[in-house]
Amino acid sequence: MNSALVLRDVRKSFGTTKAVDGMTLTVPGGKLYGVIGPNGAGKTTCIRMIMSILFPDSGELSVLGRGSALEAKDRIGYLPEERGVYRKMKVGAFLIYMAQLKGLSAHDAAARVPGLLESMALPGTEHKRCEDLSKGMLQRVQFIAAIIHQPDLLILDEPFSGQDPLSVRLLRERIEQEHRRGATVLLSTHVMANAEEMCQHVVMIHQGRKVLDESMIGLRRQFDPQTIHFEPLDPDADPLPLRAVPGVERINRHEGHFTITMAAGVDPAGAIGRLAMTLAPARVELARLRLEDVFMRIVAEGAAGSDAARALRADLVTPRTEGAFV
Amino acid sequence: MRRVWLVASREFMSAVANRGFVIGLLLMPAIFAGLFTLAPRLMNRPGEQIRGEVRIIDSTGQIFDGLRTALTPDAISRRRLENTRRALDNAPDAVRDVAASSAATAMERALGAAPALTVVQRPASADLQQEKSWLTEVRPPDAPRRLLVVVHPNAVVPKDGSTEYGTYDIYVPENTDERIETTFYDGFRETTLSARVRAQQMNRAQVEAVMRIPRVTSTTVGLGAERQTNVRFNRALPFVFAGLLVFGIMIGGQTLLTQTIEEKSNRVIEVLLSAVSPLELMAGKILGQMAVSMLVLVLYILIGLALLSSFAMLGLLDPLLIVYLIVFFLVGYLVFASVFAAVGAAVNEMREAQSLMMPIMLALMAPWFFAAPIGRDPNTAFSVAMSLIPPVNTFAMMVRLASTTPPPFWQVALSIAIGLVSAFAAMWFAAKVFKVGLLLHGKPPTLGTLIKWARMA
Repeated sequence: MNSALVLRDVRKSFGTTKAVDGMTLTVPGGKLYGVIGPNGAGKTTCIRMIMSILFPDSGELSVLGRGSALEAKDRIGYLPEERGVYRKMKVGAFLIYMAQLKGLSAHDAAARVPGLLESMALPGTEHKRCEDLSKGMLQRVQFIAAIIHQPDLLILDEPFSGQDPLSVRLLRERIEQEHRRGATVLLSTHVMANAEEMCQHVVMIHQGRKVLDESMIGLRRQFDPQTIHFEPLDPDADPLPLRAVPGVERINRHEGHFTITMAAGVDPAGAIGRLAMTLAPARVELARLRLEDVFMRIVAEGAAGSDAARALRADLVTPRTEGAFV
Repeated sequence: MRRVWLVASREFMSAVANRGFVIGLLLMPAIFAGLFTLAPRLMNRPGEQIRGEVRIIDSTGQIFDGLRTALTPDAISRRRLENTRRALDNAPDAVRDVAASSAATAMERALGAAPALTVVQRPASADLQQEKSWLTEVRPPDAPRRLLVVVHPNAVVPKDGSTEYGTYDIYVPENTDERIETTFYDGFRETTLSARVRAQQMNRAQVEAVMRIPRVTSTTVGLGAERQTNVRFNRALPFVFAGLLVFGIMIGGQTLLTQTIEEKSNRVIEVLLSAVSPLELMAGKILGQMAVSMLVLVLYILIGLALLSSFAMLGLLDPLLIVYLIVFFLVGYLVFASVFAAVGAAVNEMREAQSLMMPIMLALMAPWFFAAPIGRDPNTAFSVAMSLIPPVNTFAMMVRLASTTPPPFWQVALSIAIGLVSAFAAMWFAAKVFKVGLLLHGKPPTLGTLIKWARMA
C-alpha cells in the first residue's frame, strides 16, 4: 500500500534546543498510528512540520505522495493541539467556513453540518455562538472541523486532552469510524492508555528521537508482561499455595488481589488453569500490555537515575489539565 | 485565490454584520451633528437675567438720556437681533433663511431674557471715591449694584484743536457677570455715535452708507459653469479630505490589528493555517478589511454629498477629487494595513502592540500637522517633498489636490507610483513577519526582531 506519510531524517531546532532530532518514519495508507511520548518530546513539532506550518531545518518529508502538505491541504484533516474558534461566530457558520477553506462548496458543507453535530452529541448547536458552548463541546466542534471534508489523512494532536470520559469515548468511536472509512489516522497523545486501546501501530518519541516504531501486535509479543492478575474468591485468602504452582516467579499482594509474575517462557494459558485449580478465583486474567511500562523500560536503559524515571512516569500517567485551549 | 476570497468575505461579514459596527458607523456623524447643534446651545446656555442698578456720571451732559433709552430691555433685544443678522450675512443662504425666520425667539432662548437695568444719573461733580465705595457697600440682593460709569468729557465733541474722542471709565464690583459690560458698550456705542454725528451736523444713515463696503465673493471661472468661490469651503476642503483618508485607513487598520491578535491569542490561527497559507490568510484579511473601510468611506462621502447638495453647494466640489480620494485611500490603506497586520501577527496582546504602533500612529497623525501649511501653500518645496515621501505621501498629495492650486499631474502620478511601490514593500515585509510571527507566543518582539524575521523567512 502507498505510504501516506514519509519522514526521512527530519531535524528541527529552536535556538539551542533540538526539538526533533533525526526523525525517520513511514506511515502506510489506511493505518491508525499513535505517536506517544511525554510533554516536550517533540510530537507537536513533528506534526507541525508534517502540516508545513513549521519547516524542518533538514531532512525530507512526503505527505500523501506530495512533497509538502501544502500541496494536499484539502485532503488532510488537522486538529492542532492549540485550537480555537472564532468566539463570536455561530457554530454552523464556523464549520461551513472551515469546510469551504478545505474545498467543499458551501452547499455541501451546510448539508453535512447537522448530521455531524448530531453524531458528536451536539444537536441543535448550529445556531449558537461558539462562545456560548462549553470547552468540551468546543473541542468536539473543532474535531468536526477536522473531519467535515472527509480527509484521506487525519492528523490529531492530543485529541483527548481536556475531555471528559464521555467525550473521549465519542471521539474514539468517531476516529475509528474515520479509520474504517479508509482514512489514515495519525494521533499524538501523552496518555498512553488511549493509544494502547486504539492504535494499530505505535511510535514513541523521547527527547526528539524515535525510540520505538512497532505494531501493537508486535509489541504484545515483544513486551509480554508475563503477569497475571488474580483476585481470590475469599479476599483474605493466603497466597502461599500459589507460590507452589510451577512457573510462578513472584507474587505481590495488593488490596483484594495479587499480581503474579511468571518466569520467562512459561505459557500463560496453562499457568492460569493451574492457578485457578489451586485457589478459587473471583477473577483471573492476563495483565494487558501497558505502553507506559514499555516506554519506561526503553527509557530506563538510557535514563540517568530512578528519580528522573519516576518523574517521567508521573508525567505520563497524569492526564494534563492545562494545554486545552478554547 | 478562492481561499483568499473566502477569508476576505468572512472578515468583511464578521466586521459588518454586528451591532457594534452599525453603532460605530452612526456614532461619527452623530458626534459631528452633536458638535454643531448641541455644543453651541450648551455654550450659550442662557444665564439668569441680569438685573440691578447702573450709575452713570455723564461729564458731557449730552448722552445720559440716550443711554437710558438704549439700556432698556427692548433696545437691548433689538440690538442683539441686528448683531445676529449681521453675523448671518456671512453664512450660506440656506442657513440664513432658516435662522432669520426664527431669530427673535431663538435669541431669547439662546441668550436669555434681556437685562433689566435701572439707570441712575449722578451729577458730574460727584466725588469718584465716594461713588466707587457705593459699589462695595453691602448690597440688597434684589437690587445688585452693577456698574459705575464715568463718561469722558470729550466723548461726544473732541477738545479744541484735537480730533480725538474720549470714551468712558467703567468700575465694577468683584465677581461681575462680564456680559453686562458688553451690553453697556453696545448701548454706549449706539448713543454716542448718534450724538457725535449730530454734533457734526450730519445724517447718521448717510454716514453709515458712506462707510459700508461689503466683502465680495469671487466667481471661480472654469471650463464648466462658473461658480461662486467659497473661501471657507476651500480652506476646509483639504482638512476634510485628509481626515477622510486617515479615518478610512484607521477603521480597517485597527480592526485588522485587533482581529489578528485575537485570532492568535484564541489559537484559531493554527486551525486556519492547516487550510490556508499565511500569505493567503494575510491577503484575505487585508482585502476583507479594505472592503469594510471602503463601505464606511463611501457612506460618509454620500452623506457629505447629500449635505452639500442640501445647501446647494454641490457645484463647489470637483468630482475628480472623490476619485482621487478613493485611489489614495487604496494606496495608503495597503501600506498601513500591511504594517498593522504584521504587528498583529507579531504580538500576543494589544498591550504589546503599543510600542510597535507608535511610529505608525505618528505617521497617521502627520496630516493634522501639515494639512494647514500644505493646504495654504500647496506648491512649496515642503509640500512637494511631503507628497512624495512614503508613508505620508498619500495624505500630503490628497491635501494638495483638495487645495485651491492643485499640483501638476506628473507629481500626482509620481506620488501614486511611490505609494504603490511602498505598498508592495510593506506587504512583502508584512508577509514575512506574518509567516514567522503567527505561531510564536513569547516575549513581545521589538522592531529589530521584526526586521530579523523578515530577513530570516
